[in-house]
Amino acid sequence: MTSFVVARELSRWYGQVVGLTDLSVTLEAGMVGLLGPNGAGKSTLLRLVSGEIRPSRGRIEVLGREPFANRAHLQELGFCPQQDALYGDLSGREFVTLLLRLHGFPRAEARSRAGAALERVDLSEAADRPTRGYSRGMRQRVRLAQAIAHSPRLLVADEPLAGLDPLARRRIGDLLRELARDGTFVLVSSHVLHEVEELTRDVLLLHRGRLLAQGSVPEIRALLDQHPRRIEIRAREPRRLARELLDLPGTRSVQFAPDGEGLSVETTDIEAFHSTLPAAVSSARAGVRSLRSLDSGLDAVFDYLVK
Amino acid sequence: MAFLRATALIFSVHLRRVCWSRRVLGCLGLSAIAPLVALLVALATDRVPAGPIAVHLGWLLLLQIVVPLVALLAGSAVIAEEVEDRTITFLFTRPIPRQAVLLGRWLATLVVVLGLIAVSVALLVEAAEISEAPGPRVARDVSRPLLQSALLGGAVYSALFAVAGVFFRHPMIAGIAYAFAIEGFLANLPGGTQTLAVQYHLRCWIADTGGPLWRAVEGFSLTRFESGEHALLTLGLVLASTLALGCWRIARREFVLSA
Repeated sequence: MTSFVVARELSRWYGQVVGLTDLSVTLEAGMVGLLGPNGAGKSTLLRLVSGEIRPSRGRIEVLGREPFANRAHLQELGFCPQQDALYGDLSGREFVTLLLRLHGFPRAEARSRAGAALERVDLSEAADRPTRGYSRGMRQRVRLAQAIAHSPRLLVADEPLAGLDPLARRRIGDLLRELARDGTFVLVSSHVLHEVEELTRDVLLLHRGRLLAQGSVPEIRALLDQHPRRIEIRAREPRRLARELLDLPGTRSVQFAPDGEGLSVETTDIEAFHSTLPAAVSSARAGVRSLRSLDSGLDAVFDYLVK
Repeated sequence: MAFLRATALIFSVHLRRVCWSRRVLGCLGLSAIAPLVALLVALATDRVPAGPIAVHLGWLLLLQIVVPLVALLAGSAVIAEEVEDRTITFLFTRPIPRQAVLLGRWLATLVVVLGLIAVSVALLVEAAEISEAPGPRVARDVSRPLLQSALLGGAVYSALFAVAGVFFRHPMIAGIAYAFAIEGFLANLPGGTQTLAVQYHLRCWIADTGGPLWRAVEGFSLTRFESGEHALLTLGLVLASTLALGCWRIARREFVLSA
């Protein structure tokens, strides 16, 4: 499998502020999601990948090249930055066409590619209006259009779904998946974990500039077996059920819901919990109405990892 | 993409944008100062003839204050505006030499700066000519060296302030400090240190190519001027080395932008 980013002991700091520290990671074909809260180092990593900034220490190679101000690298890069900035006096079409012309496309081809890219992000109708009149979501889509218009080999998108309405979010999600399927290396970041979970299985978790975990969601789950899981149970008789649950192997705690009609159980042995739960419910005659895992999403994975 | 093609493309786009920018309105206002003052003087007194009005206001107001200020306002935006607006990312993630961004934008700014300065000089001369006081008029040996010197100053100062934007986060502050504290001090200090100021070389050009009317300007006789050719060569070297330094720096500098 082709590696598109290889980082070794990569660190970047801004004066006294640590942006990224000691990151060693290899990203391979397809789409990789970069996750973490604000200040985790996602944008720093993306700027290092896009060649906007240099590492303070360590090394990064993108598609086999050192990226900083490297024109061969920039030829293959599409970068959708996070900052909400555009040339407000230019229309969406003029903006994308200008950047395509800087990419070396002749005027006619640049215009036709710009039109196609704006159509892919659903912005054809507003393409000839100055971008200063665009909504936040429209501006985000123009930024994405300029990043994909030249058919880059690597697309780096910093929070590409931020500011989009649900329909546009779905459309852009489909577009990113389509690009990855067609062979574009895609690196996307988000601090909203379910966004990335919907886009890709391959994730990189960052926190305070450090790599917490890398892999698919199930792989990351496997790393977490030693961590307790939480299950919420809605029942008619939660107190009777709680007594039974406390006797199960692996149960660490039971907490009642404020409304008195449910409880959440924390267990360190999820397999044993699931296999013995039916017997416990039957024995307690608790009248279970529903049962759901409180940590099936990436939010819970992230919470565990940072604790 | 070839360097010249990228420079030309950035030049053409920036020229269109800069013409409609708010900074140009500011520059327009500054450029109007000298002609307005000349008009007021010409109308208010019947004792100062047109020639002395043009040389005094040209030397003391236009060259020393208006030209550096117009160049500062326009030149400091060449790179700093892209950084402040956080749009520089779009240019720096294109496969073009970064130097093309500096040169293309500076050239577009230069066209506007020189245009405004030329109009300012022309209006200053016209306004001075309104004076009906008996005495010397504004001859070509007054207007031509003033125009040449002002245009030279516009070019050199705008390059200096554009390159300041490559080095400093707030080039306007650095530029004001340079133009009025350092330059103003050096240019008016007797002795050899004057040669370190752009102003001095602009004055040398006027002293060499201008007519006798310029000798009436305060402080003129206290200064030893170099030849016009030497001044031109020095200003050319300052301009070229400033741009070369800016190109060298912009190719290496990181512009860290906040979201």
